[in-house]
Amino acid sequence: MMTEKTEKTIPFYPDHVRTEARVVMIMILIAFVFGVLGLIFPVGLEDPADPMNTPEHVKPEWYFLAVYQILKYIPKTAGALLLPVALIVALIYPFIDRKEDNKKQMRIRLIGSVIFTIVLVVLTILGQVS
Amino acid sequence: MNTKLLRILRFSLYLFLFGGVIFLTASTVHAQVMKANSVSTPIENNSPNWDQIASAVDTGEANAEMPPPPEKDQCLHCHIAGEETNLWTPLARWSIFGTFGLIFAFGVFRSASVWKTKKPWVPFTTRVGDFIDERYQLRDFLSKILDKPVPTWATRWWYCLGGITAFLFVILGATGIMLAFYYQPTPEGAYASIQYIETQVRFGAGVRMIHHWSANGMVIMCFAHMLRVFITGAFKPPRELNWGSGVILIVATLMFGFTGYLLPWDQTAYWASTVGSEIVGGIPDIGTLILVFMRVGWDISAATLNRFYTLHVLVLPIVLVTVMGLHFLMVRRQGLKEPL
Repeated sequence: MMTEKTEKTIPFYPDHVRTEARVVMIMILIAFVFGVLGLIFPVGLEDPADPMNTPEHVKPEWYFLAVYQILKYIPKTAGALLLPVALIVALIYPFIDRKEDNKKQMRIRLIGSVIFTIVLVVLTILGQVS
Repeated sequence: MNTKLLRILRFSLYLFLFGGVIFLTASTVHAQVMKANSVSTPIENNSPNWDQIASAVDTGEANAEMPPPPEKDQCLHCHIAGEETNLWTPLARWSIFGTFGLIFAFGVFRSASVWKTKKPWVPFTTRVGDFIDERYQLRDFLSKILDKPVPTWATRWWYCLGGITAFLFVILGATGIMLAFYYQPTPEGAYASIQYIETQVRFGAGVRMIHHWSANGMVIMCFAHMLRVFITGAFKPPRELNWGSGVILIVATLMFGFTGYLLPWDQTAYWASTVGSEIVGGIPDIGTLILVFMRVGWDISAATLNRFYTLHVLVLPIVLVTVMGLHFLMVRRQGLKEPL
């Protein structure tokens, strides 16, 4: 979609490629630092898996902790349906929200995202400490 | 041929020959002197008798008679005299002297070529480029991609999050292949092989650390990228399908995390997978079916480990790379959404 206003551009090669290469190199450097740290403080292992012996505090991975925490507040069936329903809503969201895009809509989406993220973080922390 | 050039050439030849003789003599003398000065016993007496050890192992004798490792200082003259023979010496020797040899051969070839053709030297990169372009006409196609102007607003940092996610996946692929060389997907082997990676493999603990934290980082970056797309409204028409492929990608990433978490086969992994699959098991009507399919039975067992491993290293990478390719193609075709 071409607009009348003339926008400032930079060439993809070499200017933009150079920026991307810098990001990649910084990431490789960070990965290397993590690797060296891993030699000093390894990720480590718990005791071998024992199906007969359930530990005190059983938790899922941290990115499922929010869902795990919600499950404690609502009935089991609703909680289990939460993930698939959220997935389907996310998939068809562009077809639900068909309003004309403008600054006001963007502000609403920004505030919504911030609230959603805060709720998610709080739930994750609650799941971690409980 | 003018006389000045001839004079320079003759001088270079003399310099080369004279310098070579001096260098060879000096290095030989140095090696001999160092050899005479060092008081170490001959290497044959220090090296273990491997035949004896092998027969001792075969007959089941205790390997207490294993001789101590040879005690000798790592020294330059041992390298020059060819005494130092550990596993890496031939590789180091070939790479160092081979590089010099290649540079020398290239110099001779280049000089001869320029002399013969009477034309300026064409670099190898140009020749390779011309060779490929003559056959496949890639130059126009590439220049269309490379000369595409990028608007300055597209260089803001939040447009970088998707690229970071993609590169984290590359890091995960590389370190994952390294870990897969040593990992064994059986209940007995899994725990032991992770211990082996952590303690015995060179840089193994480091590679595992990179894999671990890149995986966590990829989940975070996926989420951040999704938020950026949502806030800027880039999911709106005509980019609905790209948003959809992104949702599939984030699900695949979470599945990667879920299947990979079980692989170390320790208590945390085992019970986290148990709890995680129980969440899915709560879905009405088909939940139990999914649970049994996921665990390959009612409990997490050796079969579950094998299935998670297959998903983690075969199925999910294929899915993720395919959908990622589509995701990139669609971005390339439609361009980034202009900010309001």
